[in-house]
Amino acid sequence: MTGAVVVTGAARGIGQAIGERLQAEGHTVVGVDVGDGLAETTFEPVQVDLTDPAGVAAVSKTVMELDEPLVALVNNAGITRDARLVNLTEDAVEAVLDVNLGAAYHLSQTLAPDLAPGGSIVNLASRAYLGNFGQFNYSMSKGGVVGLTRAMALELAPNVRVNAIAPGLIATEMSMAIPEDIRRKMVDNIPLGRMGEPAEVADLVAWLLRPGYITGHVFVIGGGRSLSR
Amino acid sequence: MEPAILDATSEVADWDGAKQVLMEAFALSQAAARDEQPVVYVVHGDDLLGRRGAPSAMVATGLLSAARTAAIELSRQGTPVNVVAVGDATDRETLQRWISHLSEPGGPTGEVVRLDQGHLGKALP
Repeated sequence: MTGAVVVTGAARGIGQAIGERLQAEGHTVVGVDVGDGLAETTFEPVQVDLTDPAGVAAVSKTVMELDEPLVALVNNAGITRDARLVNLTEDAVEAVLDVNLGAAYHLSQTLAPDLAPGGSIVNLASRAYLGNFGQFNYSMSKGGVVGLTRAMALELAPNVRVNAIAPGLIATEMSMAIPEDIRRKMVDNIPLGRMGEPAEVADLVAWLLRPGYITGHVFVIGGGRSLSR
Repeated sequence: MEPAILDATSEVADWDGAKQVLMEAFALSQAAARDEQPVVYVVHGDDLLGRRGAPSAMVATGLLSAARTAAIELSRQGTPVNVVAVGDATDRETLQRWISHLSEPGGPTGEVVRLDQGHLGKALP
């Protein structure tokens, strides 16, 4: 089933890879991002701040103007503001919650009624939902995404499936900005011995959008990092 | 030392309500971390599986993830951070007993103890 698909955080990294993959499968991709990188993509661009209700409304308006059924929403937009709990600021917690969780909640609530039967929502959580040093706020927000996924899976069944993906260390600009010695240590703790590729996350999203019997599930894609010491 | 306790068992209706509880959890946890005080979040078991709606679910699972991260950060000093999930029939004495267990220095940390039975045969949180 092809149609319109909304992908947030689509200007770069994992979101861009997801958009390109879904476009290759024949979907019309509405790419949403707060940054200006959408001009370099072939998506239907919506440059908005999803923490602003007007931004969510603009996405909805764009979708309604397309002459295609809405078949999927991929909530991928996210930010980090890392610090140890004792040093974390209230602003850093609020910003991360608003973008990573609040925006996903509001956009899902807004677009869910318009999803075609058989449609799907995929939420990008993070392996950090299992806990990660220095990421109290990020971990909390991504844990919240898991709860959002479960609740909406129950609410929207049987017409719409809702699942989450929890990526570990993926080779994006954000990850490559980590100092090389620290990054090497992180990779040493990954049983598969390498970072994941954005295209591998995109493959999983594409698979989840196909008709299936899975809803309310969290898929950790982290090379086995959630098992190692 | 007495634990810092966050009661997050009430149903939450919307995003503002969910965010308020999560921000309270941050403030309480940070103060406790600075004082090396144990932390226990109390949630409703149904919310871990999303049965009472998205806002309440986001709170419960958000707190579980926050507890796991805080537990990692505070493990070196032996300060536990845990979650207790209750059901509608959980009595106060049972809850207090588990809060005490989960507040013992050097004891379990980053754990969720489910005092309801609604999770049996269901997904792990």
